[in-house]
Amino acid sequence: MLTQLKIEKITSDLLKPIRLTKSFLIWMGFLGASLLVCLFAYFLQLRDGMVVTGLGDYVSWGMYISNFVFFVATSLIGMLISAVLSLSGQKWATPLARIAEIIALAFAAVAGLVIIMDMGRPERLLNVFIHGRIQSPIVWDVTVVTIYVLVSTLFLYIPLIPDLKICSEKLEKLPPFARNLYKFLSLNWNNTIEQKKLIKDSTRVLAIFIIPIALAIHTVTSWLFANTSRAGWDSTIFGPYFVSGAFVSGCAAVIIAMYFFQKNYKLQDYITDFHFNKIGQLLALVSLVYLYFNLNEYMVPGYKMKLAEAKHLKELFSGSHALLFWSTQLLGLIIPIILLLFKKMRKSGPLLIIAAFVLIGSWFKRYIIVFPTMEHPFLPIQNVPLNFKIYTPTLVEILVTIAPMILVLIIITILSKIIPIIPIHETIEQLEELEENKK
Amino acid sequence: MLKNKLNTRLFVTFSLATLLILNCFSATWDVPADQKEKKSYIKFDKQTSSQGEVLYNANCASCHGNPGKNNILKSLNPIPPDLSGKSSQALSDGDLQYILNTGRGLMPNFKNVISAEDQWKVISYLRGFNPNYVQELSKFDPNKSKLVKLTAKFDSKANILTVMALADEKSGKIPIIKAEIAVFVKRYFGNMQIEKTVLTDNFGKAQVVFPKDLPGNKTGDLEVLVKLFDENYGEVQTTNKLAIGVPTDKPALNEKRAIWNVLAKAPIWTLSLYLLGVFAFILLLLYLLNNLRKLYNSKTI
Ligand code: HEC
Repeated sequence: MLTQLKIEKITSDLLKPIRLTKSFLIWMGFLGASLLVCLFAYFLQLRDGMVVTGLGDYVSWGMYISNFVFFVATSLIGMLISAVLSLSGQKWATPLARIAEIIALAFAAVAGLVIIMDMGRPERLLNVFIHGRIQSPIVWDVTVVTIYVLVSTLFLYIPLIPDLKICSEKLEKLPPFARNLYKFLSLNWNNTIEQKKLIKDSTRVLAIFIIPIALAIHTVTSWLFANTSRAGWDSTIFGPYFVSGAFVSGCAAVIIAMYFFQKNYKLQDYITDFHFNKIGQLLALVSLVYLYFNLNEYMVPGYKMKLAEAKHLKELFSGSHALLFWSTQLLGLIIPIILLLFKKMRKSGPLLIIAAFVLIGSWFKRYIIVFPTMEHPFLPIQNVPLNFKIYTPTLVEILVTIAPMILVLIIITILSKIIPIIPIHETIEQLEELEENKK
Repeated sequence: MLKNKLNTRLFVTFSLATLLILNCFSATWDVPADQKEKKSYIKFDKQTSSQGEVLYNANCASCHGNPGKNNILKSLNPIPPDLSGKSSQALSDGDLQYILNTGRGLMPNFKNVISAEDQWKVISYLRGFNPNYVQELSKFDPNKSKLVKLTAKFDSKANILTVMALADEKSGKIPIIKAEIAVFVKRYFGNMQIEKTVLTDNFGKAQVVFPKDLPGNKTGDLEVLVKLFDENYGEVQTTNKLAIGVPTDKPALNEKRAIWNVLAKAPIWTLSLYLLGVFAFILLLLYLLNNLRKLYNSKTI
């Protein structure tokens, strides 16, 4: 009896955020308006061409490509939390799985757009499909990003099916078309044993396969760099270096999302200090792994100081990029690791601030990986104006870079308004299991 | 001691002065008198000028910039002059052609790169920037070069190419005497000259010794270019395919499957890994969709 009551409370608690509120409309209005401004900047880029950016012959990869890497990176968190942790029996991550999946899907889907925004002639994207060569990492990247978006959609959708049924039955004041859509998408879910087994099997298979797919997407992204012979990129550990860095930015993104969902959607009973503590530990762990790869990545070329590498590393360590480099490494990685060792810092408030620093640091880390290398080619740059040699992003470029970020926020906000962001069905199942064990 | 120092100083000053003076001298070109007088046999007009512009943009603009546009490659030493400028335009047509054919320091020599006719077209283009220029045509009749018969015979024992240069004049075949003969072999990127340029003898004959180890194609063929240059008969060239090289059967870099090749020649390993990955994904997708189908239908059971 008590269990039944609890189940009803869970259902109503978790369904509550699914309705239009004033704050939601204001937030969306703000996002929409900002997006329009950024899209105007993109319109300028389309109309006038890439001259409106700071990109050129020498630095042809700048903010946009850094943004792309950042987006692909952050999207990897879905794999870590929903697949790796759940397969290894880490039950605490269950309520976070859907948040991670939403983040994964939003970032992965938008990553594809970011690449198109980097193209002066986006209609030529078709050429990748018409003339693409299977030998080119670009083609691999297009392939795996598409696959990852599809698989992430299924990974979000399949465990959601029971919840969709609950939505169609329990949500009040729903327009009929929405109710029908929920019903249609819930695929005749009836909670039968056979259906449960189908969902369980599918989720498990997905959880297993999403691991190599996610590894592939970010490893291939790293190969876009490592497969070219250039100072700062010509590295054999770029794959794991990127993947470990991806978990760092993804964890930070999940923490920030957790914080806002907990506060705005009144989920204090479901996302607790326990969860913040756990994910804080996870962030510390992945950051330490990332730090280890950083050490390798800079120590090995830094010891040998080969000609071009030396020039590149000197600019990073003590030259014109030093401020950016050290603040990113210290504020975005090293200081957060130290802080995260303390339990007090793994409470929701401090953790939010740490995660914000880590996330911003992750973005700048990609920026540092991408453009300084472009400024240091093997053949010296001669007889060109200074602004060809030194990359400075323009306002238009910055706005176009912000556009996808806004888009991600819009996608996450909308998804969190139409599906329960804490899995209802699984929470109830866990509760029932708990009660079962008590008896 | 003091004297010594003074001496050194004097010496340095003197050397610097000499260098400076030499530098000034080197800005002029010592063009032999007969070359100076040379004139184009092509009439400079709009057409030759626009043909010349294409050649100029391809061969000269990278250093000399576009005439009058002040976009010269200033990091070179000496700085290449703007060829539409006063001092360059003060050079005679013959001077200009001589400079093109000899080069100096960083100014490349275009003798075997741009044919005489095309050189005149470049000059025609440059003259278009000089309103005071009035062309004087040379008396040379380009039709004369049509009379030239160039034959090349190879003596494989002695590895000597014998070139005969005869002119089909009305009075009969006469040897072309003291004409320049240059022999080239076609390579991947341009022509390679064999030996030096030689002059024909009184019988119109010239000989060039070939190296024995020139790589040819699969059957050992070499494409041999014979160029004649003569004051009276102009520039004539013939191409002969001679089986005198070492047969070499190196597949071209784009013949086999390779990473850098076209899609149809992708390496098997890349192809199979890629297709395997995509295939595995399709299997996964089919499995999941089938599960969803079963889920949808299971209500009725
Ligand atoms: C690699 C750079 C380079 C290229 C390519 C080049 N030049 Fe020059 N050129 C020079 C330099 C340097 C000088 C000055 C040389 C000197 O004074 O010793 C020069 C001098 C000349 C001069 C002498 C001008 C004067 O007033 O003294 C002429 C004429 C000339 N170049 C014509 C050409 C033409 C025509 C072409 C293209 C077919 C060409 N050059 C291509 C570098 C170049």
